[in-house]
Amino acid sequence: MNVVLPLWNLLFRRPVLARCVAGGLCAAFPSSRLKAAEAVRVTVVGANGQAFGLPATWQELLAKAAGVPCSVTSARRDATGGLGLDSLQSAQAAVFEVGPGELGTGAVTLLREFLRAGKGCVILGATREAWAAVPGFSEEILGAEPGAPFAAGAPMTVINLFPHPIFAGVTRFETAQAMPVYAKLADDAQMIMEGTVGEATTPLAWVRRRAAGRLCHIVPVGPDVARDPAYQRIVANAVLWTLNRPIADAQAAVQRTFMPDAHPGAIALTLPNGPGVCLDPVRGGINYIWDGDFVDLRPRWLTKQGEPARIFGEIFYREKTWQPLRSGSPTGAPDFHFRGYTLQAGLPEFHYVIDGRDVFETISAAPRGTGIVRRFRVGPGARPLWLNLEPQAGADVDVRGLERDGAAGCFPGTGAGEFTIEIRRKAGGANR
Amino acid sequence: MLAGGLLILGAWVNVFAATPTTARVSGQVRKADSDAPVARAQVRIEGPTLVSRENSQIIQKVKSDGRYQLDVPPGTYELWASAPDFEETKVRLELAAGGVVARDLELRPLQKSPYRVETLKLPQQMIGEVSGVAFTPKGSLVVTNRRGDVWIRGYADERWRRFASGIYEGFGVVATDEADIIVVQRPEVTRLRDTNGDGVADVYETLADDWGITGSYHEFTYGLARDRAGNLYFSSGLCSFGRGVELPWVRGPLQTAQFIPWTGAGPVPDGHRSVAQYQGWAFQLSPAGKLDPFASGFRQPLGVGVSPQDELFISDCPGAWVPTSTLTHVERDVFYGHPDSLKWHPEYRNRTMTHAEITALRRPPSIYLPRGLMGTSPGQPVWDLSQGKFGPFAGQVFLADVSALLMRVDLEKVAGAYQGAAFPFLRGQGLRLGGMHNAFGPDGALYIAQTVRGWMSTEGNEGIQRVVWSGETPVEIQTLRLTDTGFALRFTDAMAAGAGDARHYQVRRFQYNHHPQDGSLRINQVDVPIASARLQPDGRTLDLDLVELQPGFIYEFVVGREVLSRGGQPLLNPTGYYTLNRLRSGETRAGPSRLVAKAAEPLRAGDPARGAEVYRLNCLVCHQGDGKGSAQAGTPDYTQAGGPLTKSDAELIAVITNGKLPTPPAVLPMPPWGNVLPPQAIHDVLAYVRQAFQPASR
Repeated sequence: MNVVLPLWNLLFRRPVLARCVAGGLCAAFPSSRLKAAEAVRVTVVGANGQAFGLPATWQELLAKAAGVPCSVTSARRDATGGLGLDSLQSAQAAVFEVGPGELGTGAVTLLREFLRAGKGCVILGATREAWAAVPGFSEEILGAEPGAPFAAGAPMTVINLFPHPIFAGVTRFETAQAMPVYAKLADDAQMIMEGTVGEATTPLAWVRRRAAGRLCHIVPVGPDVARDPAYQRIVANAVLWTLNRPIADAQAAVQRTFMPDAHPGAIALTLPNGPGVCLDPVRGGINYIWDGDFVDLRPRWLTKQGEPARIFGEIFYREKTWQPLRSGSPTGAPDFHFRGYTLQAGLPEFHYVIDGRDVFETISAAPRGTGIVRRFRVGPGARPLWLNLEPQAGADVDVRGLERDGAAGCFPGTGAGEFTIEIRRKAGGANR
Repeated sequence: MLAGGLLILGAWVNVFAATPTTARVSGQVRKADSDAPVARAQVRIEGPTLVSRENSQIIQKVKSDGRYQLDVPPGTYELWASAPDFEETKVRLELAAGGVVARDLELRPLQKSPYRVETLKLPQQMIGEVSGVAFTPKGSLVVTNRRGDVWIRGYADERWRRFASGIYEGFGVVATDEADIIVVQRPEVTRLRDTNGDGVADVYETLADDWGITGSYHEFTYGLARDRAGNLYFSSGLCSFGRGVELPWVRGPLQTAQFIPWTGAGPVPDGHRSVAQYQGWAFQLSPAGKLDPFASGFRQPLGVGVSPQDELFISDCPGAWVPTSTLTHVERDVFYGHPDSLKWHPEYRNRTMTHAEITALRRPPSIYLPRGLMGTSPGQPVWDLSQGKFGPFAGQVFLADVSALLMRVDLEKVAGAYQGAAFPFLRGQGLRLGGMHNAFGPDGALYIAQTVRGWMSTEGNEGIQRVVWSGETPVEIQTLRLTDTGFALRFTDAMAAGAGDARHYQVRRFQYNHHPQDGSLRINQVDVPIASARLQPDGRTLDLDLVELQPGFIYEFVVGREVLSRGGQPLLNPTGYYTLNRLRSGETRAGPSRLVAKAAEPLRAGDPARGAEVYRLNCLVCHQGDGKGSAQAGTPDYTQAGGPLTKSDAELIAVITNGKLPTPPAVLPMPPWGNVLPPQAIHDVLAYVRQAFQPASR
């Protein structure tokens, strides 16, 4: 904490600080993060080396979803029966339908290099047999073991799409397809689609964020779903997610639930292309920010007594001050009321009343997904508005529009106005 | 080695045989008209020796061949069997220690009701844990589910769309129109508005959140109902203390100590407490946003409804201080039973109150829904305002129960206060578990929201069903009303002359214990002789005069199968329960009972020989054969000088009859035997205890 304070003080001594910490930002971005305008190169591998099952229009859809040109190459078997996987070398991501099947030695090497290279990987309905060429595929890559038909092959009664940018633009996805069970889901595998038959549930899609690249596995596969525009969109979005690219139409996910280290009814907020935020309407601030996707609500949902939602990802920002927004002085009597939120252009604007003064806060993703930007709109009030801030080991915090006074920032006037706080994860920064 | 093992096993068996602590009853549940087992049947055994269990009972699903087997402490029990589409049946059992009783149970099919149950098809994206249901004025169906979504089925196209998501356990809904909906969720009441016309809510406005929550799984927030003035009503359940209270993450002040401390040994019988502010209260939220803690004393007030006259009614679920399910007309500032909520009462919060003071303060429910036929967790009360589309019960109240049951309540105002009769209405016919909230649709059907996730197995059969009337008149007791001399039964159809025969009716009355134990068995139950029965010429009204009426009792009416309509049909639901809180004169206190006096007169002196058998059947396990008691059960040593037998006969009979909370180091309460053993048997067992164990006589 002492090490951080000088920088903290420096930041706040400027009344209006439009600070560009270019060096810090560069350090915070892993080299794998791509620029938004960069073209996308994807290789598709059909089931067991056959033609890729998704229609050609899927390529256009991917380009549309990405907002940039996309080049799609297909791996095909040559006249000798060998599967050409050379395109994996230049691809940023690959989509595997079921699995590549039997491979020659050279192709196996290329495939292993691809899977180790930190590139995006989307797999549709993997089977053990189709990945036999890659030892340890189930545990290391897929994060689950394909098994017998779920519910004796009965169609799903419910297909639940959890809040995730991969489902952006998808309002309805239905299929009567029988699904296999994928057992032993890895601890770091975050389920994003779940099927239900009776009271039994089975994972239908999950994501993994690993050092060896992002992976998304989607269980439904085959000609019937491949014709469904919703499915095509899901696969396209999955490609972009594995590449950490912006996804068109992705919206913030907001869920009031039972979060760890927060009052009951806290808000889990995940921003498109940004981190996750735990906003606590009782404490009156952000309890923590984690670098990851939406919370897993299943621990809360599926049992009688319920556990807090599970967070996937590392927490890099925490604060604990009781009701950090105060009126009159930073130590003034807390008088904070949460009044709900409004969804505007896919982002929530939260409404607070502090000592009778309306305060609105919009939380959005910081550029390049490294953190968040908190934009406050402040209505007129009788007394200055104060925001108590806490030093952060795992994050840089920039403030614009507040006057610094010790460990707090002051919005000095009694008129309406705005101020902004940007919170960015430091390189490797964590706050457990 | 093997021989040694057998020897040890044999020794163990001998020891076990010498000190049996359980009895066994087993058998088959089968159809009355054949030997076929009944699918999806369950048996339920209840009795005072199960007092330490939830609601003093054990419930067991029978196997696919209809077989069941229950091991229980020796004692006296009621054994119930039930199954969808069959009438419940019960038998009385006396089980001796080590005894094995075979008892097959036969179930008769329910008569076919003119009400059919239809299951609504839901979109595949919708989690079917439907927890709230309402209609917009135009007729769109609005539902909440436990996962936090709000869905609307449009009135015009009947297409479903997700209106909102991200709610924390939405448990109730009122709909102003298709773009303005209010839900109650765990932490707050929220108004959802679609301001841009895209069919999806974009405004989530917090209307109220000024009550305590802790994170306990059980502190549900229930509701939602609105009166014509725009006031919203909802309620807060007690939390299950010790399981899920997330310290320090508690909203509002915290008080973990009980309002009435548990003085017994061992754990508190019911761990539900009002540890956070206003848990166990009902709330009124005015249109101006003022939140008013409206009334207290609730346990799990699951059903919140408003009558056509804008009166608040709340149903509560049984447990400590709430002996059975109830439906209560809730008035401002009144206390309704569970004392822990008084921690937050401005007048009582700093007082120490006794059990007797709590009893005096408690206002009884308008309607008791007696356990057995009347479910376990009643949901939202709704009034039939369908103008005849739902059959001949206009203005009456319907409540679905979690136990696949729909109930009907006929309220009447007697001397200024609501009381009345409750009936089972619909069981079986495909009606599913989890009935929680209800709403009458514009089609006159009753829509039932169903969710039970985590509480019992449903095989995924949750969602929403509607109950539709075929138009055929059901043969039912339409109303059951108090008269000066008894009750008047109004039938939905003209009844044959045999309906005027008093012998075809059984009337009994009983009470419950409002105590810290989990639920209550019936106490002070007695048959009430019918003085006369008169069927009016139109065959619709029967006047039953009773030999006496006593306020403060629940009256059970069972109509015999001989009572038929003129069309030859028996009653669909021949049992009803009238909660007689007050007489028409306004009298609320029971007077001297001729029935009790009549019962007491012929009592003989206690017979120790008969009493020995009663003791063996009911008392031996806890009090032991030598009368020295059990350290494990904490029962006293009768043989000790200065022990319990120094008390008078009257005192001991009162303890045996009414039960007694445990005194440390006792762990278990003395169950009330007054509703199990006849008065003569209680006298007999006391005579035996005195003869066998009285120190002076030894």
